[in-house]
Amino acid sequence: MSAGAKKRIMREYGECINDTPPGMKINFDEQNMTEWEILLDGPEQSVYSGGHFKLKISFPTEYPFKPPVVSFKTKIYHPNVSNDDKGSMCLGMLRPEEWKPPNKVVSVLRLVHSLLIEPNPDDAIEPSIANEFKENRKEFDKTAKDWVKRYAK
Amino acid sequence: MASPSPIPYDRRSSRASSTAGQPASDLLVVGGPPNSPSPLELFLRASNLPSSKTRISKIPPDLHMLEYVSSCDTNLICLICHSPFDKPVKLACDHYFCRDCLDHAFEVQPDGHKTCPTCRGRVDTDTGVLPVPKILEKMLDELVVKCPNTKSGCTWVDSRVNVNDHVMLYCEYTLVECPSHECRLPIFQKEFHKGCLHYTLSCEHCHTSLMKKDLEVGYITQRHQKTHCSNRFTACPHCDAEVLRLDLKVHVNDSCPKMVIPCPGTILGCHFTAERTEVIKHENACPMATMAPHFRDQQARIERNEARFEPLARKVGILEDGLSNITNMLYPANPNDSSFPVTNPLDPNHSDAFPPAPLIPTPDFRLPPASFPPVPPTNDQSQTPFNNPSQPPFDSQVHHLLTLHDSLRDEVSRIANALTDLEGRTNMMIINENQRVKDEMLHTNAAINSMRMQLHWLMSATLHQRTSNSTGTSTARAGGSTSSNSNGNGRAQGASGASTSLGARAEASGTLHAPMRRLSDSTRQDTKL
Ligand SMILES: [Zn+2]
Ligand SMILES: [Zn+2]
Ligand SMILES: [Zn+2]
Ligand SMILES: [Zn+2]
Ligand SMILES: [Zn+2]
Ligand SMILES: [Zn+2]
Ligand SMILES: [Zn+2]
Repeated sequence: MSAGAKKRIMREYGECINDTPPGMKINFDEQNMTEWEILLDGPEQSVYSGGHFKLKISFPTEYPFKPPVVSFKTKIYHPNVSNDDKGSMCLGMLRPEEWKPPNKVVSVLRLVHSLLIEPNPDDAIEPSIANEFKENRKEFDKTAKDWVKRYAK
Repeated sequence: MASPSPIPYDRRSSRASSTAGQPASDLLVVGGPPNSPSPLELFLRASNLPSSKTRISKIPPDLHMLEYVSSCDTNLICLICHSPFDKPVKLACDHYFCRDCLDHAFEVQPDGHKTCPTCRGRVDTDTGVLPVPKILEKMLDELVVKCPNTKSGCTWVDSRVNVNDHVMLYCEYTLVECPSHECRLPIFQKEFHKGCLHYTLSCEHCHTSLMKKDLEVGYITQRHQKTHCSNRFTACPHCDAEVLRLDLKVHVNDSCPKMVIPCPGTILGCHFTAERTEVIKHENACPMATMAPHFRDQQARIERNEARFEPLARKVGILEDGLSNITNMLYPANPNDSSFPVTNPLDPNHSDAFPPAPLIPTPDFRLPPASFPPVPPTNDQSQTPFNNPSQPPFDSQVHHLLTLHDSLRDEVSRIANALTDLEGRTNMMIINENQRVKDEMLHTNAAINSMRMQLHWLMSATLHQRTSNSTGTSTARAGGSTSSNSNGNGRAQGASGASTSLGARAEASGTLHAPMRRLSDSTRQDTKL
């Protein structure tokens, strides 16, 4: 990773501290600044309220020309988060073909936050969960809340 | 031009001048600069000959890395590197980027299909990259920056447009290559004329080994003598005292009068905090401060005892473990006897190994039934109290076994005593019995003697009668002759024939009486002996 990219990540971290979406906390390690750990409280108005989620944002060597990789370390029942050990979230501006170098990490954090409040079933990574979200919202809410109790306390 | 220009390479003369002119003449040279180049270095020098002129070449500053004194307009910030533009260019879509940032962005895009990083509009790399307006460049040039060598000690602050010249020509803290061919380590530009400074020195005050170059300059914190040397005087940051750096910590902690410290009674709850002089005044009045040392003593004692308790508890655990093993070996028939708890004290899950006395009752260690014969109750008053069956259960098996052993030993010695006693009594009895038998035998002997005498008398009397009958003399004559022939004993014979034997016996006993009494007297004396 170039010195310029590192400088940019440092600057972005400075921006994020002042402008973090509500309920988020960034653990930044200067020795390993390409891996950020995010602690996120489930938004009040969502089914994930009361849960505490751990996320990881890793910056590729080509950053900012390639998008950062967002993954949930805490299991979450969500159409846009892969239901495996990676817990990856890949949609919108996080797609390599959609990513633009001027995009900022702050907007990535905002995207994550808004997706917890309102999942996007049309750009889902888990079609079955997306289907349930669209057709049996009650069942989806129940399972999501159940998973919060089980994994995100 | 104020900067010192590099002087021609001559190590010896430059060394001489540098040591003569420096103030730190109290430094001892330990290593000295390398004198003869190694074969490898000779090779390197030979291979680098054409480029030897560029040995002092400097790296131009990277504008992306600069530190800006004031925050600048967000419109002057490149969206890719997030720092003010460096050599900006404009795309046809009116988006601005640094030249380098745009090139990096194009690098990861497929050939012939370059797009604007912001709006993804197609970009023709030959004609679509345009120069920016002069006003923008002017604004960028006027941004105030710090010298990139600020951390090394440079204090230069000026417009960005001048930073390149400053770093490449004037900055004394720009790193250049050492003038020595053998060394090639980086050194500050202002040290360059002093020759190679990459050798080790020992500080005379504290004997720390240092690189000569670190003593010469370096940024302020590297200046050993001013900030690190422990044997140099330095001013206390709290009071005006001058102390050796070595003693500064002790001074601040123990004696500095201006140091703000809490009352020593803090551990007892005094909240007084002030400068040391004030605290000393307060101490005399504060009861908690006077109590504090005793309190601390007690605390230390408690801690010591607790520390001592720890290994003891472990030892007891190990012993108990060993004992239970032994017991299991001795009585394999009932190792699971519930009355005999076998605990593993090394097992952390088994907290019962050392139960806190008031919470859990002491485990009741009893031997398996019929393992030892019960200790018979004795009248011995010196018996140990452990033998008392009404005693509470023993607190450990070792104790129990030891007690048992003690009681058995007592028992054995008691039995031995009884045996000795018995033997003595038996001996005495035998002696007494013997004496009695002897006496009896003497009596019997005496009786036999008297009977023999009587018999003898009777016999002689009978013989006499017969003789006189056979001679045919008359009874009167016979009577007269008998009295004349017989001795004094025959005088009573004349009284009556029936009383003859009685009288004879009385006579016999009269004659035998004295010696018999004497005999019994002597036996009585024997018995007494
Ligand atoms: Zn840039
Ligand atoms: Zn554009
Ligand atoms: Zn400078
Ligand atoms: Zn050198
Ligand atoms: Zn020193
Ligand atoms: Zn002081
Ligand atoms: Zn006090």
